[in-house]
Amino acid sequence: MTRNGPVALVFHTLVVLFMLAPLAIVCLVAFTPENTLSLPTRGFSLRWFEAVFHHPDFVQSFWNSLWLALLSATLAVALAVPASLAITRWEFPGRNFLNALFLSPLIIPHLVLGVAMLRLFALVGATGSFGWLVAAHMVIVTPYVMRLLIAAIAGFDRSVEQAAYSMGASEATVFRRITLPMILPGVTGGWLIAFINSFDELTMSIFITSPSTVTLPVRMYMYATESIDPMMAAVSALIIGITVVAVLLLDRVYGLDRILVGQR
Amino acid sequence: MSFLELRDITKTYGTLNAVSDVTLSVEKGEFVSLLGPSGCGKTTTLQMIAGFVDVTSGSIHLDGRDITRAKANTRGLGIVFQTYALFPHMTVFDNVSFGLEMQRVPKSERRARVEEALELVHLAPYAGRYPRELSGGQRQRVALARAIVIRPPVLLLDEPLSNLDAKLREAMQFELRDIQRKVGTTTVMVTHDQAEAFSISDRVVVMEAGRITQIDQPYRIYEHPQTEFISRFVGKTNLLPGTVKAVSGAYASVSLAGVPVEIDSQSGADMGGKGGALASGETVTLCIRPEKLRLTGAGQGRLPGRVSERYFLGSQWLYHVDGPLGTLMAVTPNDGSAPLDLDAPVGVDWSPSVVRVHRGAMAEAPDPALEAH
Repeated sequence: MTRNGPVALVFHTLVVLFMLAPLAIVCLVAFTPENTLSLPTRGFSLRWFEAVFHHPDFVQSFWNSLWLALLSATLAVALAVPASLAITRWEFPGRNFLNALFLSPLIIPHLVLGVAMLRLFALVGATGSFGWLVAAHMVIVTPYVMRLLIAAIAGFDRSVEQAAYSMGASEATVFRRITLPMILPGVTGGWLIAFINSFDELTMSIFITSPSTVTLPVRMYMYATESIDPMMAAVSALIIGITVVAVLLLDRVYGLDRILVGQR
Repeated sequence: MSFLELRDITKTYGTLNAVSDVTLSVEKGEFVSLLGPSGCGKTTTLQMIAGFVDVTSGSIHLDGRDITRAKANTRGLGIVFQTYALFPHMTVFDNVSFGLEMQRVPKSERRARVEEALELVHLAPYAGRYPRELSGGQRQRVALARAIVIRPPVLLLDEPLSNLDAKLREAMQFELRDIQRKVGTTTVMVTHDQAEAFSISDRVVVMEAGRITQIDQPYRIYEHPQTEFISRFVGKTNLLPGTVKAVSGAYASVSLAGVPVEIDSQSGADMGGKGGALASGETVTLCIRPEKLRLTGAGQGRLPGRVSERYFLGSQWLYHVDGPLGTLMAVTPNDGSAPLDLDAPVGVDWSPSVVRVHRGAMAEAPDPALEAH
């Protein structure tokens, strides 16, 4: 491999800075003692973190978002595994239609989906239901899971399954002991992306959350439309902190490579 | 009744006959190879024995039991796949142990048998490794251990050595045969490599366009190919088109491009079962293996010739000799004597008994893709 020249090095540095700077700045701003979004020039303060915990609605929304993301990601994966296997491996009428249908939420703007879901929820009397909110989020995250799973399954050597089958394993055993472990990187990667997408989702959720099911992004958006103070930065810093800790733990316990790339 | 019997099995995909009326009996402990070019139906045949492909018509019998419609996971056969198909997320030990686990063999016995199988393929020290940490040859041996540890009635090998480099392939051929003899498992191997099929099989089944064209011992197939296709597919050969001029008693005179050649008139009985003596005026193709041609001094032998190309093959020299019949291939052993020079005038000789006769005209041009094998 050739070394990077000075121009390339400067370019790479700028790209990395551009990606990291907002995160660093938001974390710094969270520690400001001032009342405005500003860098802490006169000492550090935890007052905005304290403020977050004096807003029980924020804490409640955090839990809402966490449960919503956990449920919708898990259920989406549970549905997407058999769906991707069917679409990748079998020819059946409506196969292409199903494939397109599962992908369509990627193309439809979330705003449109939000309005549509709002109408649907009103029609079926599901307004304010957490279960229906989970279902709506599953619609949005399923395409990501499907894409990753289809890629994982397409590169799969079927003779590995045949080998297990010929040794006397039942179809269920082959799936549990061979297929699932082998597509695990697709499953976990899909689940992670689904989780993040659901946790982040704002546009559609604005339409379909009720006071008791308001998610964290929606709560932050509503708060930010009224006042912009460093508490937003503190919430963001907390989310970043939790994510970093979660990723480090995951890497420690399982190894990220193993989960996402399939290497030991 | 034989141990493994295929009776008239046919596999049809739409209107295409992948395998037509294949009938084969394999005795217990025998090593049989299905040999043929890609697309000849050999792999489909193997997959029907394994149970991965449904039989369109005909039946398969194992040890007197009809297994034609039995599911693959109830047949209990050991299979080595071309890609080895090891379980990438399991260690070598767990790979080999899997089949025993499925048979609900008690854990202590399982351990003993896995260790025994790994010992047999010289991989005992690698039990804790993962497949990706092994070389190609080692993976191949894990696949073999995994297939024989379940003590299958029949071992199926699908191009088991084709992913190995030449040197290793040769070593594994002997090892495979050695292991098969030790274990005594009835084995059916699919291969497109005639050297591989010949060196390790008791019998070779040559397949061509979905049909079996010859079943015989390797030596018989090489020396008495039933069709012109086989004589070209199996080793190198000189094919010479000619016409029978006269038949007298045991001998017939064949004109090859105007050059008269004496052959055994009963030779036709050998070929493709189309028995009977040759008749005058019949179109034939003579087939002489390069190593059966003798290169003599100029002016001697049956035909004059001139060395036009010379290839060194290590243990042998391969010469192209131009003469009245076109270019002939001749192989002489590298016995330490000086090789012939290019452009050297030579005589070409052979004994009548080495000439094989195929009735009918020669097929158009030899398929270069087949020659490559």
